[in-house]
Amino acid sequence: MSAITGAGSARPGGLLERIAWHWRHDPKLELWLALAAMVLFYNLYGIVFFLVANAQPPPDPAWELPRVQQWFNDNHYGLPIGFGIIFIVTFLTAACNALIAYSMRRMSVSPAFAYAYFIIYSFSAIPGMLLTCIALVVGAMRPDRDPELILWLYDLAFMAFDGTMGVFLVGTTIWMVAILLDKNRVFPKWFAYLNLCNAMTEVVVAPAWLFTDGVFAWDGAITWWIDMIVFVVYTGCFITLLRQMILREDFGSGPLPELPAAQAATS
Amino acid sequence: MWALVLFEGMLFTLYFAVYMVCRVQSPELFLDSQALLDPRWGVLNTLVMLTSSWSIARCVQASREGAYEQALRNLALTFFFGLVFVVLKVAEWSAEIRQGLTFTTNEFFSFYYFLTAIHFIHLLVGFAVLGIVAYQLRSPARRSQQIVETGATYWHLVDFLWVIIFALLYVMR
Repeated sequence: MSAITGAGSARPGGLLERIAWHWRHDPKLELWLALAAMVLFYNLYGIVFFLVANAQPPPDPAWELPRVQQWFNDNHYGLPIGFGIIFIVTFLTAACNALIAYSMRRMSVSPAFAYAYFIIYSFSAIPGMLLTCIALVVGAMRPDRDPELILWLYDLAFMAFDGTMGVFLVGTTIWMVAILLDKNRVFPKWFAYLNLCNAMTEVVVAPAWLFTDGVFAWDGAITWWIDMIVFVVYTGCFITLLRQMILREDFGSGPLPELPAAQAATS
Repeated sequence: MWALVLFEGMLFTLYFAVYMVCRVQSPELFLDSQALLDPRWGVLNTLVMLTSSWSIARCVQASREGAYEQALRNLALTFFFGLVFVVLKVAEWSAEIRQGLTFTTNEFFSFYYFLTAIHFIHLLVGFAVLGIVAYQLRSPARRSQQIVETGATYWHLVDFLWVIIFALLYVMR
């Protein structure tokens, strides 16, 4: 059943005028802003972690103290600047989680799925990002700190980032089950299976706690590189599918209508 | 479900590729370590998995013909063989750990425990899938053939992965 709260006036032609029109009249404005926040966040995340802070791909877990100290010195500015940006934009993750939770509220499944996901992922930012950022910034800020503490901060940062995937695993599984049970066709079933694939990669990081070299270390082929490939594909897919969900959204409670063929081809 | 077969197939292909690269780099270590595995466990587990695939295929066939009681019996058989696999695998792991062969013993055994454990997790998920198939078959109000066949496809995937893991870890010299 459809219940679109449409806007009455026609859309003007110029770009700024269209933006103003959407700001005033578009019933999906909050959804588009949440999606924009998601795109912005993941782009900033990639740029900061990979380029500015140089924290990904992760450095070698087998490094001895002098080499670790050198790494902190080499990234003395990149770490606080990059993660300073992350501290500022962390609030965008709330919008990301809200949009995904919204997708589950639009499904025919219990609201418990959406709320459970939202709660779990609200906590996930701590071990999955913020703890790493804090530990590395602390390590970079005072190079004269006790060397053993520097090493400890280094280990804490990367073990927190690469070795704590439990919350993400549970959240991904919740989303997967919701999609499989959903009768409103919010997402295609193949995306639920991609969630399972992603969940599996979040299990295989566990050996990072045991190894400092080889494929199971925190920078290893299995625990990082393959996981990162899967994660990038997964993230690209869910951003695309969330966009399609917003385009299809009719604010009803039944199955989402499919996009018209022409719009689907260009979306 | 074919999307899952594709995704998991690609993921495991990457894991197998990493295994092969590491094996090429340390051939003697891998060969010597492989010799410490008892192939009889592997053969037995393979036979059990193949038999479970046979029984789930019979379940699907019976379901297609509308013989739902027979389908449920074959499903129960599949579940039973899955449990046998679980017991055998845990027994094998226990025996190996008692011999001092653990996850951190060397690179081969890291891969051995990793691949068999990740397969084991897929098997446990498979029990949930079989449960969903059973739920479908039990009531005339449900009995979605699509769900039955989807569940069977997943079980065949688990079997297929085990056959490759068996070949890589136990057989390939």
